[in-house]
Amino acid sequence: MWCPYSCRSAEHAISRRTFLGGVAAGLGAVSGFAGRPMASLAGQLDRQGYQVLMIFLHGGSSQLETWDPKPGTATGGPFRSIETTIPGVRISELLPKTAQQMHHLSLLRGLNTAEDDHGKGSYLMHTGRRQAPGQEHPHLGSLAARFLAPERDPLPGYIHVTAGGGGLSGKDAAFLGPKYGALTLGNGQPPANTERPGSVEEAEDLARHELRMQLDHRFDLRRRTAETEAYTTSYEQALQLMERREVFDVSREPARDQDRYGSHDFGRHCLLGRRLLEAGATFVKVSHSNYDTHNENFDFHLEQVGEFDVSFAALLSDLAERGMLDRTLVVVMSEFGRTPRINQYYGRDHWSKAWSVALTGAGLKRGVVLGETNADGTEVVDGQATGQDLFHTYLRAVGIDPVVDEFAVNGRDFQIADPASFAIEELLA
Amino acid sequence: MRPRLLGFLAGAAALSLATVVGLPARGEGPTRPLHEQVDRLIEDATGGPMASPATDGEFLRRAYLDLAGMIPTAEEARDFLDDPSPSKRARLIDRLLEGPGYARRMQYAFDVMLMERRRDQHVPRDEWEAFLRRSFAENTPYDEFARRILSADGSEPPGDRAPSKFVLDREADPDLLTRDIGRMFLGRDLQCAQCHDHPLVEDYFQAHYYGIRAFLDRSSLFTDPESQVVMLAEKAEGETTFQSVFKTSVTHSTAPRVLDGPPVDEPELPEGERYEVAPEKDKAVRTIPTFSRYEHLAPALANDEVDAFSRNIANRLWALLMKRGLFHPLDLDHSYNPPSHPEVLDLLAGWFRDHEYDVKALLRELALTRAYQRSSEIPPGADPEAAEPSRFSVANLEPLSPEQLAWSLMQGLGVVSAHREEAEADLDHLDSALCDRCKADEARQARRPWQVEEAVHARLSGNVDAFVRYFGAAEGQPDDSVEANVHQALFLSNGPQVQSWLDPSGSNLTARLSGIEDPAEVAEPLYLAILSRRPSAGERAEVLGYLGRRGDDQRSDAVRELAWALITSSEFRFNH
Repeated sequence: MWCPYSCRSAEHAISRRTFLGGVAAGLGAVSGFAGRPMASLAGQLDRQGYQVLMIFLHGGSSQLETWDPKPGTATGGPFRSIETTIPGVRISELLPKTAQQMHHLSLLRGLNTAEDDHGKGSYLMHTGRRQAPGQEHPHLGSLAARFLAPERDPLPGYIHVTAGGGGLSGKDAAFLGPKYGALTLGNGQPPANTERPGSVEEAEDLARHELRMQLDHRFDLRRRTAETEAYTTSYEQALQLMERREVFDVSREPARDQDRYGSHDFGRHCLLGRRLLEAGATFVKVSHSNYDTHNENFDFHLEQVGEFDVSFAALLSDLAERGMLDRTLVVVMSEFGRTPRINQYYGRDHWSKAWSVALTGAGLKRGVVLGETNADGTEVVDGQATGQDLFHTYLRAVGIDPVVDEFAVNGRDFQIADPASFAIEELLA
Repeated sequence: MRPRLLGFLAGAAALSLATVVGLPARGEGPTRPLHEQVDRLIEDATGGPMASPATDGEFLRRAYLDLAGMIPTAEEARDFLDDPSPSKRARLIDRLLEGPGYARRMQYAFDVMLMERRRDQHVPRDEWEAFLRRSFAENTPYDEFARRILSADGSEPPGDRAPSKFVLDREADPDLLTRDIGRMFLGRDLQCAQCHDHPLVEDYFQAHYYGIRAFLDRSSLFTDPESQVVMLAEKAEGETTFQSVFKTSVTHSTAPRVLDGPPVDEPELPEGERYEVAPEKDKAVRTIPTFSRYEHLAPALANDEVDAFSRNIANRLWALLMKRGLFHPLDLDHSYNPPSHPEVLDLLAGWFRDHEYDVKALLRELALTRAYQRSSEIPPGADPEAAEPSRFSVANLEPLSPEQLAWSLMQGLGVVSAHREEAEADLDHLDSALCDRCKADEARQARRPWQVEEAVHARLSGNVDAFVRYFGAAEGQPDDSVEANVHQALFLSNGPQVQSWLDPSGSNLTARLSGIEDPAEVAEPLYLAILSRRPSAGERAEVLGYLGRRGDDQRSDAVRELAWALITSSEFRFNH
């Protein structure tokens, strides 16, 4: 069970100490209550510059038609498997381009998340916690915005690119506060209010800012608080963001790349993702809809995975080629996988017992396949991991220690990740 | 004989009264008012430098924001600043507490406190807001207010369902309700005690969590099949049991009880007598038990015997004016997070209980304190430590709530007054048909400001939504989780709403200022309208210089820019 602040009971501390082999216990895991600084962040310097790209395959993509094919079995469906650039590792033939980039990518094929509901599965995969009434935990994007984004970064720390509507939502940030919420670029459109109103010229805009700063200077002389300072800074960031508005304009990318990524929404959104990451955005999530294939699973996956393969392979190879993978965690996930059993409508249903996630970059090993399912994909037979374990792994990969690190919000201490789970060490470089 | 007896009785009565209300013992002279007692305790504890008294302008703006929810008009500011009366501050406090702005302000504040910007589910927002506004307008004793909220089940007649929003819009989820009842009515976030006694807070027990949950465990949502109205249904069976995650072998059971209070006695009823409306097979019925546990929640919680109940609300009302709780955060009252001024908290909680939970009376006393009326400027030469918020030696800053910000912008930029004039004209038009005696009717005249406020609110409240989106917390989170961010700055800089208020039109502020011929005359009305004070000599020169640089032909653009700079300044953004 999650505790919103500081459930550092002796019991919790012991389990941590066991895990840490007694070494790190002295660094910050020791229970203590008051007076903790904002974040006891071991390795704070290390995490400077880490970025995250999350590709979310909305609706629950089929592991059998992607990362863990079982051709020739009763559950395998019509598609074959193909070789990849990792000797001996085969993935679905629907991913021919990704197969050529496989050495940059790792697979976790032993995922068992035990959550077959869309909302709850999505919550678990985004927060690393099981959903429970009365509790809200921050999404990975909000944690990244809080812990990885440079303090005065004008770019919002958590950007979501999706085909749907855009806007600002603090919900994902939970108790971190809306500043760390998601900025959604609906259909790749730039955020609201980043253009100067038509009636205000640039010189006049700067003049009025100048005046505002003089007023603030006088007000702050004998009052300076962290809050007034943060407020004043937000205007500097606003001006910087307006100046860099073209960061959100994917049409400025070379035509050749636009072709390479694909002319569909997902292609454009992946290219925008690359553009944002290159501009220094801390966390970019790109959604691809909709994989909820209760009917005609194979037709749908043929089409959807086809789109995904082109755009994702281009993005992955670009990140690798440009040296960005070293500092960028990449995760391809869903809320769950799909049933090995094929239903009477040629569909596959929700399935969380044995499915796969692809991931790479930052502090993760590349070209590694962990975990294994049985011959027809109905059980994990080796290297089973949970959604909570994965979440710990993401955090470790970007230099956040989910076990030791804590932070305080408005006088409460929070532990970042589920204290009962641990990172998958075999995936960490 | 008789007079002596009477005298004796009277003496005893006076003595017992003194004991009850915690008055000083005889011989200490007349009882000092609460605000003086508070000030003495705060000042005795400080022992360091204190800010000087707030200027009239500072006090005026603060009092309006806290007690009426928005800044004053330029005219109101001018009148107050020019009033030489030494008692004008006390008079202003009384006037604001009696006005419609107070009820609206408290409606907003308690909605955010109790519902934390949750999405509306089963009880319409307008009914809930009307209930809150009426409660504070009528100054319903707070314990009664709390009991109404915690006893409503949604089955009331259509006009009376509003208080059930707290329970129904949380989907009657027993865990969520236990947590939020603990936080909002007892000042204790017991969530960490859900799975085991709180590991670090020795006064939060798992039994406390489940004692409250036991009032709620048998209740769930029921939708009336005909009317589609959602309400609570309750079963007559089901015990509340729990185990510590550290010792799952032992199962505890608890009757409904509030913290360490007495368990609610439940009669043993024979099986056939447990229901007024019993469950039926294959039919959706709203079951009603003969003995309702939920019914016992409100009386068990909102009463004089529950210390945490009066401590919580005393602390929350203190924080409403002082911008920080005596214990802080407001839902972590426990021995490891002691109040900064324990005697003040005890004094306030006791006084509030003894004055029948009179919210206005307590706020009035708090507003009269020197602590409330201090400047937010650190005294010259003093260590910035003097401004440590929990010392209350220097007035605390607080960003305006989304509602205060939206309404203050509309007030400052002259949007409210334009609509007020229209609303007044509408009422005048209606009144013109009345006989002279009807017009002079006192009750009728007393109603008028409330009618005007309601009309203005109806016209403009839609503008508040965008501010809540940008400046409010996410659903289910307290508003103090909001930090300044770039989207807010962009919204105020480039957003169409603020732009339209800044563009000169009709009789709004920028239109009026653009029409002033002498540029030296612009600064004063500008500052009075937006910052509720007169500009300093330097500020007058600054405004004049700005206008001069832009020349007469760009006067209205320049005025708009000046107004923008003032509304985006920290001085405007913060309640200081």
